[in-house]
Amino acid sequence: MSDERAWKQYICRACGLIYDEEEGDPDSGLAPGTRFEDIPDDWECPLCGVTKADFEPFEKREPVEAVAIESGPRRTGVVVVGAGLAGWAAVEALRDLDRELPITLVTACDGDRYHKPELSVALSRGLDIAGLVKESAVEAASRLGVQLLVRTFVTGLSPAQRRLRTTRGTLGYTGLVLALGATPALPAALAPQHCWRVNDLAGWGGLQRRLSDGPVRVAVVGGGMIGCELAEDLARAGHAVSLLDRHRYPLASLLPENAGHRLLENQRSLGIAFRAEAQVAAIEPLASGERAVVLEDGERLVVDQVVAATGLVTEPRLARQAGLDFEHGIRVDPHTLQTSAPDVFALGDCITIDDAPCRFIEPLARQAEAIAHALLGRAHPGYAHAAPVVRLKTRGLPITLHGRPVPEGEWVILNDGPQALQMEQRLGGEVVATLQIGAARHAA
Amino acid sequence: MIDAATVTPSRSVPVPGMPSPPLPDSGVGLLGQVEQIAAGPLAEMAGRIDQGHYPLEIMASLGRAGGLGAHLSCNGQRFDRAIGAMEAISRRCGTTGFLVWAHDVFGLYLEQSGNPALTGRFLERHASGASFGGTALSNPMKALSGIESLALRARQVPGGYRVSGTLPWVSHIAHGQYCGAIAGVEGADGSLSHEIMFVLHCRDEVQLRQCPVFSGMEGSSTWSIVLKDYFVSKDDLIADPARPFIARIKAAFILLQAGMALGVSQGSIDSIREVEPALGHVNQHLDERPDALQAELDDLRERALTLASTPFETSRDYLLEVLDARVQGSELALRASQSALLHQGARGYLMSAAPQRRIREAHFVAIVTPAIKHLRWEMARLMREEMPS
Repeated sequence: MSDERAWKQYICRACGLIYDEEEGDPDSGLAPGTRFEDIPDDWECPLCGVTKADFEPFEKREPVEAVAIESGPRRTGVVVVGAGLAGWAAVEALRDLDRELPITLVTACDGDRYHKPELSVALSRGLDIAGLVKESAVEAASRLGVQLLVRTFVTGLSPAQRRLRTTRGTLGYTGLVLALGATPALPAALAPQHCWRVNDLAGWGGLQRRLSDGPVRVAVVGGGMIGCELAEDLARAGHAVSLLDRHRYPLASLLPENAGHRLLENQRSLGIAFRAEAQVAAIEPLASGERAVVLEDGERLVVDQVVAATGLVTEPRLARQAGLDFEHGIRVDPHTLQTSAPDVFALGDCITIDDAPCRFIEPLARQAEAIAHALLGRAHPGYAHAAPVVRLKTRGLPITLHGRPVPEGEWVILNDGPQALQMEQRLGGEVVATLQIGAARHAA
Repeated sequence: MIDAATVTPSRSVPVPGMPSPPLPDSGVGLLGQVEQIAAGPLAEMAGRIDQGHYPLEIMASLGRAGGLGAHLSCNGQRFDRAIGAMEAISRRCGTTGFLVWAHDVFGLYLEQSGNPALTGRFLERHASGASFGGTALSNPMKALSGIESLALRARQVPGGYRVSGTLPWVSHIAHGQYCGAIAGVEGADGSLSHEIMFVLHCRDEVQLRQCPVFSGMEGSSTWSIVLKDYFVSKDDLIADPARPFIARIKAAFILLQAGMALGVSQGSIDSIREVEPALGHVNQHLDERPDALQAELDDLRERALTLASTPFETSRDYLLEVLDARVQGSELALRASQSALLHQGARGYLMSAAPQRRIREAHFVAIVTPAIKHLRWEMARLMREEMPS
């Protein structure tokens, strides 16, 4: 006796269990190969207990074609990370174009709006945090219709799923704007618990509170743009300032020597003690509450507060984790500011264009506008990158720099007067940078 | 016993995207043997384990197969294999996956202790599943992050310490077994000077108190431990002081848990696929579909296995990556397990069904220390910029 018919399957209408004739149901005494019609009528579904009559032939359906849907949450709007000038600029630009778009702003700080360049001049103006805040985060969020997550850190990003993990939950997005900023680069000798960094309102506020009881001794480590601006501001606020730098004169990476010496003279006249070729080995806290700045050559400088102005870096962790192209900063398309991931854009201090960071205020609004148009699918000629004019907020001696000097360029003096020095840098016959030190017309 | 998840006859299928070891050595054999145990006897008793059976026979067979010691330096420090084994086990039974994790980290404590009394025969027997024990570090891990205070207090006495206090909810222990514990050392004035970490032997004098019934994972043999002047000898010390030791093993401790999240998620996707032939026409309207979940799971697995190549890195960024991957795993397990129940409908809601069991397993993954909220607390703490006071 041989039964050549193909094995059939029957499905329980109640629970969906499938009886396969080939497999049988040995647990209830049905040997493999038991035809459905041979099953006794009182046999029960081994899963839900209904009887044979509640089974019907199981016709395999055509497999369901996967519908091409982007994975991840849907209709979630734009998430902006960072509430500095860049992040708020992105929010403003998006809201300008679309009144309805859901926008969420995630920020590690309090999110209050202030003009960051003012941090370089605010001590001598006697300001405090409240005096610097132009609009509170809550007010701005309500005016712009933004969901606000403050004191919230971004911990992870999965671009394929369009999910952003934060310390207050995971957010889905349809578009993401990273305005993460940059972080002070602290050499190992400058322990974070011993030196202030003035890169955001909170950092500045901490220093300001410590200085509010009267003149003290402050060491500023690093004589670049921020270091020079802060040293002057501290000196004008009445503090005894030492400015320590590895080079022979301040702002050495931007200025030729004769220009640097004009700046040095000016700093001296403000009472700033410039320590040339100074390498900090360590900062030691003293029992008195003072701090000793120990130099490589063994010299010890005892001060009350230490400020580090040793440059900025973009933290790579999030970008690397998300697989975003990264080289000194998040690499973006120079026109759309899109990162290497779809629907993820970036602007401000955290990006690099042609592998160079550009940490200035001027381009932010234009970058934000290009991003907003791209995210909303609106036509836009694209962002056009140009090195912004650098103006140092050194009121005693204004410094204006157009273009970017290169180490191999040749500096030429155009005008060397008692009030102003004008120079230009040439490379292969082309002018790559022009410099004006001290300007009667624009003097503050 | 019929598992409702296996509505169609279940066959053992290779785990998509399981790690393939770089060298053609015993790793393939190890994962193959673990997979055999997991798909065979373990899958069959998963429901019973969830209801209260403590599967030491399974643990012993996993130990014999080498499934409890792949991460140890003496076995080449293959954290990837330890995670792979834990995934294969958790795919069939989350409770047993948890027991394997607890067992694995205890082995790590012994090996990293550098205490000759702990690294020899004791470690050997433990790693091969000849003896059993887990980890009582839930409270200390939270305490050292500033979330709660230490439950155990120690006093220095000649030859060691005397420890008192009550630890709630310690798993994978029983009389005759052991666990790793941490106590704060009290001076005469009651202030804490530092912490010690030690092997707590659950000898008869140690009171193991029955815990209230949990909603699942009852086979984890979880008790509260009451200690009164329990003596810790020098031979039982894992670390004194404990803080530097914990800093060194913390990432590895958390990273190993990835195996649980991966396995519960993979099991959930299996359950979704099982009903696809019968229910795919309606299931296509559900939010989370198996292909997208699988892609997400494969990404997460790759991430965890990459992190597993440097388990003792102590940089802030590495720890952040491990913590974030742990959150990602918990969230995926929650979503995948819920999706599996929605895909299976009533049959997945049966008391005997794997999807409803996995819902509870996934919630356990999300709340076991470090829970999602602890992980976020810790990441926020690590990411806050330190300024002068």
